[in-house]
Amino acid sequence: MNVSRRQFLTTGGTAAAVVAATGCKRVPAQLESLLGAEPGAFQPPTADAIDPVAHVLNRLSFGPRPGDYAKVRALAKDSRLAAELWIEEQLNPERIEDSACTKAMRRFDSLDQPLGEFYEYKEQVLIREMVRSTVLRAISTERQLFEMMVHFWTDHFNIDPSKGDCQWLKAWDDREVIRRHALGGTPKDEMKLVQKIWYGVMGGPEKPAPREVKFPDLLRASALSPAMLWYLDGRQNRKENATDKPNENYARELLELHTLGVHGGYTQKDVMEVARCLTGWTVRGRNKMFKGQVEFKKHLHDDGAKEVLGHHIPAGLGAKDLDRVLEIVSLHPSTAKYLAGKLCRWFISDAPSAPTVSSVAEEFLKTGGDIRATLRAVFRSDEFWSARGVKFKRPFHFVVSAVRATEAKTDARGPLIDYLERMGHLPFHYPTPDGYPQEPEPWMGTLLWRWNFALALHEGRLDGTRVNEQQLVERAGGVEGFMAHLLGRKPTPAEVESYRNSGAGLALMLAAPAFQRC
Amino acid sequence: MAQVNSFLNGNGDDPRALVVVFLRGGADGLNMVAPLEDPGYYKARPRIAIKRADAVPLNGFFGLNPLLADLERPWKDGALAIVHAAGSEDTTRSHFEAQDLMEHGGIVAGGWLGRFLRFRNAPAIGPLSAIALSRSVPECLRGAPAATVLESLDQFSLGKNRSALARELGRLYGLETGPIAVHARDTLEAMQRIEKLSSVPYQAAHGAEYDRDEFARGLQQVARLIKARVGLQAASVDLNGWDSHLNQSALMDPLQKRLARALTAFYQDMGRLMETTTVVVMTEFGRRVAENSAFGTDHGRGSVMFVLGGGVKGGRVLGQWPGLSDDVLEGPGDLPVTTNYRNVLAPILARHGATDRLHQVFPDFELAPLGLYS
Repeated sequence: MNVSRRQFLTTGGTAAAVVAATGCKRVPAQLESLLGAEPGAFQPPTADAIDPVAHVLNRLSFGPRPGDYAKVRALAKDSRLAAELWIEEQLNPERIEDSACTKAMRRFDSLDQPLGEFYEYKEQVLIREMVRSTVLRAISTERQLFEMMVHFWTDHFNIDPSKGDCQWLKAWDDREVIRRHALGGTPKDEMKLVQKIWYGVMGGPEKPAPREVKFPDLLRASALSPAMLWYLDGRQNRKENATDKPNENYARELLELHTLGVHGGYTQKDVMEVARCLTGWTVRGRNKMFKGQVEFKKHLHDDGAKEVLGHHIPAGLGAKDLDRVLEIVSLHPSTAKYLAGKLCRWFISDAPSAPTVSSVAEEFLKTGGDIRATLRAVFRSDEFWSARGVKFKRPFHFVVSAVRATEAKTDARGPLIDYLERMGHLPFHYPTPDGYPQEPEPWMGTLLWRWNFALALHEGRLDGTRVNEQQLVERAGGVEGFMAHLLGRKPTPAEVESYRNSGAGLALMLAAPAFQRC
Repeated sequence: MAQVNSFLNGNGDDPRALVVVFLRGGADGLNMVAPLEDPGYYKARPRIAIKRADAVPLNGFFGLNPLLADLERPWKDGALAIVHAAGSEDTTRSHFEAQDLMEHGGIVAGGWLGRFLRFRNAPAIGPLSAIALSRSVPECLRGAPAATVLESLDQFSLGKNRSALARELGRLYGLETGPIAVHARDTLEAMQRIEKLSSVPYQAAHGAEYDRDEFARGLQQVARLIKARVGLQAASVDLNGWDSHLNQSALMDPLQKRLARALTAFYQDMGRLMETTTVVVMTEFGRRVAENSAFGTDHGRGSVMFVLGGGVKGGRVLGQWPGLSDDVLEGPGDLPVTTNYRNVLAPILARHGATDRLHQVFPDFELAPLGLYS
């Protein structure tokens, strides 16, 4: 194979071909279980420090399961190339077979309803189902990077379902806004068109290349999400009489949190003008036909001329004002910088360097907000490869990585959820539009609950969640191998000593500082 | 090494603690703090009103239910303020809606106490910054950074016979640098302090005596934590069961007694620490002014709030008394709300470090903070 490492992440197309060639050697875990194979021995990392493969499994997934390291490591002779091949595979989630996760999701048919049907559920039912399915997805999906991006965007476009109709509408938002656009893919309407053509209605078997979903598509979906219109009061943003003042809530967060960033160079005047542009978009009430549908009411729209970030928007555009606003903000240089900074902090470190952020921002602009291309820019930076084991896992990542590392069987009910709640990181429970914090400080108070969780898992006290520690140690070829599996590197002498002296080895490792990082 | 009495990193050397007591079910303010001189009161409640002679006189107009007599002491010390005709703007008279609205602080996401903890100035977060003595996180604490739900202090531990694990964790975290090392040390230290506390029966100070009921024990644990200086900034304790539709006295009497006795024990036990500790007592709504045929009262609007300690200028009944004449009563005959609960909480939260962030704690509401401290 004649692909140099440098070329690799730069040229996704070639890379995909490489994946196709190498990926077929892998037997998916769920296939193994279908074949009834006993969980066998696995090779843990053997290096003294975290190698590139262990690094990407820690950082781009919710943690490696037994055997994951060996599988990725086998993709190439060189550890870095193997890691890059795996990244490219992860960047194409639609090509990753994921039947175990799909099967696990079948029980959540409540989340698979058309918009109006969600209202049939009692309070709390959908939220509960969303929380559980989110936990189980993170644990079981093979499309780990996709799932990471779902969490990234869920925070970026945060909606707390405890506000008004969001208790029903967030389920739709999660599916149709966040998941549909999280990591590229095909726009929904065009997918239908593709099928139509494919099935010969137009007479031609030629399958057109579908357009890639990009950030502007995600932003537009979010702007027109009934849950977002509820959460940030867009539905009440109207101008019926001359005295009506627009509701600025969404307009402000659109600029401050979703696009330009707080120092992105907009003014209070811009906020007010954006709010004027968006007047008239509302959500049909729950007592009406087509409840939850978003509609534009012309008579509630301020149809005068506006000026947004130096762009003139002429009078009389009506609903098209929204398109103009999104065009102006979605690919604004400040948006590129702000998103690049967030992605770099998410995937590289808490303080990425300015040049790295700039190069990611450039890629974002150059590709019209292509999410996959932007991520490739993150992953090809030197900084990404050098910042290993330096990020403090958020509680959700911690819990899921512990479950994955120990191959614990879980139904994601009861105690597991309680621990997430105690640590203040239950999915869909963050009140303000800025989403759960990315930075480590707010999460430092959770150490005791992490330790307790580790101990409860070790002692088998988590109802509905089970671990077979003895078997894991044997499969990893002994205690030090098992520790290397948890740490992504060989344990230090101090860690080995503590493991043996703690009286609760598994708990100690999961509670240890190294396992709090990724 | 930290001194035994030093504060853990949680809130540095800031000892301010806020204790929120929520009376769930809609507590009848008119039966707790009776408007003895309002003729409408006796007219509306011929059978269940507090008799003038039985009441503990407060200010010549209002009197305490004799079952709350224990509260006379902090009242006379000037450490207890009462706000009457207090409540929310919610008119559904539904427990669920009214509690939800009040705990969220309006139709906003997250709880007001959670937002306070997140937005207050210098929001240093420790493992025991925010606790709820309950089985699940109450709505008011939603969105708090790491709210700890405890049914008892014993849960703040790695369990019995796990000293080897704690020791080895101390060793591994001791090899770290930066915030993670500091937080691990604080957590281990807090655990040790609580273990030490739990190993001896608690001795309340100044002759205070807590009863054995769940509410009294909850407040006792809060007192213990504040004294142990583990960084407690906010605690939530509920006292449930105030929905007195029938036979009001049988239902409310024991609850009132429990409330007054526990609050007074806490007050006495805390001594000078009460200067930096505020207890606020609230309920989702009051009851109908007129008694019903079953010696009870139905869902109403305004009720009372109590503010104890924290430098409050007490010995006063605050808020504007609207009177109980027919033309004043709201809807089916309810005490109107003249003081929104946010205007009681706002000055308290300001005192507890959220001075410039009140608009984030209570968005979409024009605050007119009550003069609790002047």
